[in-house]
Amino acid sequence: MYKTFRQAAAVGAASIVLISGCSSGGDDGGGDASSKKIVVGISLPLTGDFSEPGKGVQQGYQAWAKIVNDKGGLLGRQVELKILDDQSNADRVVADYEQLIGKDQVDLVVGPFSTRLVVPAARVAEEYDMLFVEPAGAAKAVFEQGFKNLFYAAPAVADDHYNHLADAILAMPADKRPKTVAVASMDDPFAQGTAYGLRDKLKAGGLSIVADEVYPPNTTDFSQIAAKIAATKADVLIGGSQYQDGVNLIIALQQLRYQPKLAAFSTAPTEPEFAKAIGNKTEGVLSPTGYSQDAPYASNKEFVEKFKAQFGKDPEEDQANAYTTGQVVEAAVKAANCAEQGECQKKLVDFVRKNKIETVVGPLTWDATGKPQGAHMIQQWVGGEIKIVLPAETKEADFSYPKPAW
Amino acid sequence: MDGALLFQSVVLGLLLGGLYALLAAGLTLYFGIMRVVMIAHSAFLILAAYLAWWTHTELGIDPLLSMIVTVPLFFGAGVLLQRGLLSRLRPMTLTMMSVLLTFAIAVTIEGLLGYAFTGTQRRIQLGYGSASFGLFGARIAVVKLIAFGLAAVALGGLYLLMKRTRFGWALRATIQHQDAARLVGIDTARIAGYGFGLGLATAAVGGTALSLDTTIYPSLHWHWIGPLMAIIVVGGLGSVPGAAAAALILGLAQSVLQIPMGTTWAQTVFYLALFATLAFRPQGFFGGRLAQRF
Repeated sequence: MYKTFRQAAAVGAASIVLISGCSSGGDDGGGDASSKKIVVGISLPLTGDFSEPGKGVQQGYQAWAKIVNDKGGLLGRQVELKILDDQSNADRVVADYEQLIGKDQVDLVVGPFSTRLVVPAARVAEEYDMLFVEPAGAAKAVFEQGFKNLFYAAPAVADDHYNHLADAILAMPADKRPKTVAVASMDDPFAQGTAYGLRDKLKAGGLSIVADEVYPPNTTDFSQIAAKIAATKADVLIGGSQYQDGVNLIIALQQLRYQPKLAAFSTAPTEPEFAKAIGNKTEGVLSPTGYSQDAPYASNKEFVEKFKAQFGKDPEEDQANAYTTGQVVEAAVKAANCAEQGECQKKLVDFVRKNKIETVVGPLTWDATGKPQGAHMIQQWVGGEIKIVLPAETKEADFSYPKPAW
Repeated sequence: MDGALLFQSVVLGLLLGGLYALLAAGLTLYFGIMRVVMIAHSAFLILAAYLAWWTHTELGIDPLLSMIVTVPLFFGAGVLLQRGLLSRLRPMTLTMMSVLLTFAIAVTIEGLLGYAFTGTQRRIQLGYGSASFGLFGARIAVVKLIAFGLAAVALGGLYLLMKRTRFGWALRATIQHQDAARLVGIDTARIAGYGFGLGLATAAVGGTALSLDTTIYPSLHWHWIGPLMAIIVVGGLGSVPGAAAAALILGLAQSVLQIPMGTTWAQTVFYLALFATLAFRPQGFFGGRLAQRF
């Protein structure tokens, strides 16, 4: 009980109560609640290693606050973001959230960027029983900490990115279904998470894994890996790639004239330079994506439009995930009809736990650990453009299998 | 093991080994001439690769044409490097100080490349980048064959230069015994400078060859220097044909060992070979005699 709480003193509450400042008398001089701003505390890596995505996340939050405020705010109160810079430092992020919750008495907190920072931040929020919705931190470890207030505001964790594709492949009639699978993945938790998620589902569905290669992140020559894959003549090729490694592997496979019936790569095919980099032989290449500006969800159109007006560019995945975080918190606040520390936070957590929430990345639900229960959309190169092909509800083009030769 | 895959790997290994041979030749020259360990050799290699990439991306001409500029440029830089910096080091501490000096040069080149071109990975996008032709069931990529051809021509040229010209004799005499060479009237300081220039010119050719079919990024040179050092030790420090033979064999071994061991572990073949050489035959396996005197 070393922290001072002005409100606690004002209402003369017993000093044992940690969760103070919650009830009606807490406002300065007891003014009416609607005049007080809702302060949302955030710590973001605005400098240091993660400053690039950190700034993206900041823009997403700013877009959310602006859109909410332009419509008259939350519960009639304006939303104010209180953003501290954690310098991409995990020790700093803990101090930041301690300060935001304990000293600054913010009404709500939302998450920082990257797994490394999400876990320590979530621990602080957990201590104070605050709802903690976060826009990053998809790694398995985040959901193994026993957090009860944490929710990851994205469609899926890495292992589930390809679920729609796995379902589509396994739903094919037996005579058309591919039989063999070759996997090559960078030695990286995210890349391997996505690729192995699909691999394991296809294996469980009866396909045989005929090649399973891992390469170090600094690999530049893919000819030997390609030779091993090409020798298997696998029907399905899964690439756990970032960007350049995916391009290099595809070119090396083209040099060996290997033609898979289905080729799925993480991240790489969604990059703008991808088509040119592999000589425009992209037709049929697949990739999962967590966010698309063209996704037909109701709030997405508004988000893209207003984000463009505010920042003069299209929102990317980082911005969208932060915006999604805002939307989840917004829905909870509206449903619980409160936004402050204390009892209210429990109502917010309960609401998020039990409800399906509509966001710019689609409807989201979570399991008990805060892991989202969805899957990523699957995009495919069709006629020189990358289009959503799965799931059927959001598709812009039909899923084509087998893919044309490259 | 699948026979076709094995043959394909052997072909790929030989193509890779050719490039290693060319790059190791430069390192061998430096060591032979001055007993210096030239850490910056692979940094110059990456610099040449960047210049080839830049030539293609900005000027829109074939990256091979960049050699018209880079080969003389690197030759000049090598002469200046030797005459201006390395020859000024005190002979007593030459070997150690040359490591520090060339390390500094490597880091400087890496920093400047990062400053000029950012750390983003680059790759030349060639119209014939994925073209290939068949050879007894294996496939040979056109770009890899060009790289191998460049390496072969450069190494062949170097061999003829060393064996058939007066400059080559003088250079070999300088490598074999500097004092004796001076006694018979060879201007060893000048010859050593040209020898360095020659070594760096091989980096220009090698870098261009490298840029045709792999990704480049500023810190890539650290990835190359280890295997190259291992090759010149296995080949017998100072012996160009020894380095070439070691390069082909180790390149081949790396390629074939990837089949059972995977990419990560196959890289260790260089270091295992290095340890084995130092432990059992420090003078190298291919006739280099300098290590004994070293």
